[in-house]
Amino acid sequence: MERDLATPVTSLRRAGRQGFFPYLFLAPAVALLLALTVYPLLYIVRISLYRLTPAGETFVGGENFLRLVRDPFFFQSLGQTFLLMAGALTLEFFFGLALALLLDSEIRARGLWRALLLLPMILPPVVVGVIWRLIYNPNFGVLNGALQLLGVDTTRLTWLADPSVALAALVVVDVWEWTPFVFLILLAGLQAIPEEPYEAARIDGSSAWQTFRHITLPLLAPAILVALLLRTMDLLRLFDQVFILTQGGPGFATETISLYIYKTAFRFFDFGYAAAMSLVLLVATLIVSRFYLGFLQKKERPT
Amino acid sequence: MSGTQSQKRRRVVGHVWTAGKYAFLAAMLLFFLFPLYWLVATALKTQAEMFSVPPVWWPERFALDYFRDILFRSSFGRLAWNSVVVAGGSTLLSVVVGTMGAYSLSRFRLPFGLNRHISFWILSTRMFPPIVSIVPLFLIMRSLDLVDTRLALILAYSVFNLPFVVWMMKGFFDELPRELEESALIDGDTPFGAFRRIILPLVRPGLAATAVFCLIVAWNEFLFALVLTQTEAALTLPVGIANQVTQYEIRWGAMSAAGVVAMIPLFVFALLVQRHLVRGLSYGAVKG
Repeated sequence: MERDLATPVTSLRRAGRQGFFPYLFLAPAVALLLALTVYPLLYIVRISLYRLTPAGETFVGGENFLRLVRDPFFFQSLGQTFLLMAGALTLEFFFGLALALLLDSEIRARGLWRALLLLPMILPPVVVGVIWRLIYNPNFGVLNGALQLLGVDTTRLTWLADPSVALAALVVVDVWEWTPFVFLILLAGLQAIPEEPYEAARIDGSSAWQTFRHITLPLLAPAILVALLLRTMDLLRLFDQVFILTQGGPGFATETISLYIYKTAFRFFDFGYAAAMSLVLLVATLIVSRFYLGFLQKKERPT
Repeated sequence: MSGTQSQKRRRVVGHVWTAGKYAFLAAMLLFFLFPLYWLVATALKTQAEMFSVPPVWWPERFALDYFRDILFRSSFGRLAWNSVVVAGGSTLLSVVVGTMGAYSLSRFRLPFGLNRHISFWILSTRMFPPIVSIVPLFLIMRSLDLVDTRLALILAYSVFNLPFVVWMMKGFFDELPRELEESALIDGDTPFGAFRRIILPLVRPGLAATAVFCLIVAWNEFLFALVLTQTEAALTLPVGIANQVTQYEIRWGAMSAAGVVAMIPLFVFALLVQRHLVRGLSYGAVKG
């Protein structure tokens, strides 16, 4: 019986004996991905070296990249993207962790609760933008309406129209949309931690803080890193909500890097320069995610 | 004596802690749910209620005027249909092509370490910011004369949905023991027959959840649609709503109603995928 099974095991594992079947099955996916991810990447590297005008294209070498180094708007949009990211990541992490710790033992986040919490993050980002415009509107928005009922003078609270507040207002929107996501990932991580280390800590008489610091946090670290990595990558590319809420304004106060590239390419049709900035954004994203993945690997393979 | 006092103090601290905890939870719940309520309430208000100061917290009568407006007197229906076609088409494409590819990667050892290389390549596409893809994709679609067609969006959405399907489905296939197909192969089944009759029915729940995720992403997508569409021939709902917002005179009522309608399919989706949600959203990294 065992001998009978042995033959097909090897035949299934090694693609060669299956004839063309494995390749036939894989080919469409590889072809589509080559066409939609690899070819565009090569294409964008090429056009970053050109100046594209309706008349045609001229090879300009590194000119687009030199221009980028001297472009204060590029650095401002990059800086604002990082600022937004730092603010949103911090708040989402602390609120998400607090919620996960508080609710871990209380409720199993199931059914209606989970579906309701899911809504902000699976809503179309455009609708998220619409919702918060209804809230932030200085004249009839519900935020100023509520503040007036509390006796606050709201004449100078214009939120998205105020350059010094707009970026923070966008952080709040992202916190609203994505804290439930961080919460759900951390909750899943918490519920996967076995009981034994907690029992050992109880026997040793550890305080709540010691238990959290030396057991919960290290065992939760992989889930934390995954949540932060995914949020970081999404915040680096933030576009939709900003497009709806402020279009990068007032002035340039909330321009994110994606928005700046979009305007460069599709309002000013400066594709070469947009391509150069895109490549910088791509490299920045890869470096940041490499950083997280390094941590994650260290966690998974403790020395 | 002192023992009971410290006990009492501990009980008071406990009560304060519990009260603080529930106050925090209540505040969080209000913060997360109120904006959703506010969108629905705004869509159901009359013009006068919408601009009233102080705000009308609960609409007097449920005015369906704005829903009637967008459903019968605008291009909304046309845009919604485009969204359905694009979301459905791109999901179908990614799910079929991606599931096949994932099965191959999960089950067969390909030469030159291709399994590992292709898997890594597919995961790395998750890092690509969409703005990086759309600049070259727009120029490519323009040279193919595909701009402002639904086909362009269906193809373009494979950029993120196809790697997602391959990655998710590979995870589901990896969880099934190989002996399942092996016994079928002994019985003289073809590899495709074993895949279709034995494996596919077993991964159906995972496949359904993965497909729903693709639907959500395609239904919500904004940037690609903004760049690749221009007229009602291909405009999708998110771009239609955005056009309302960025005009000089904003039609708040219509916009809110459109937002509510765009949200409805997602209610259904949320209920459908909630069991697989964490896994899907974390790209398979957390199997909650």
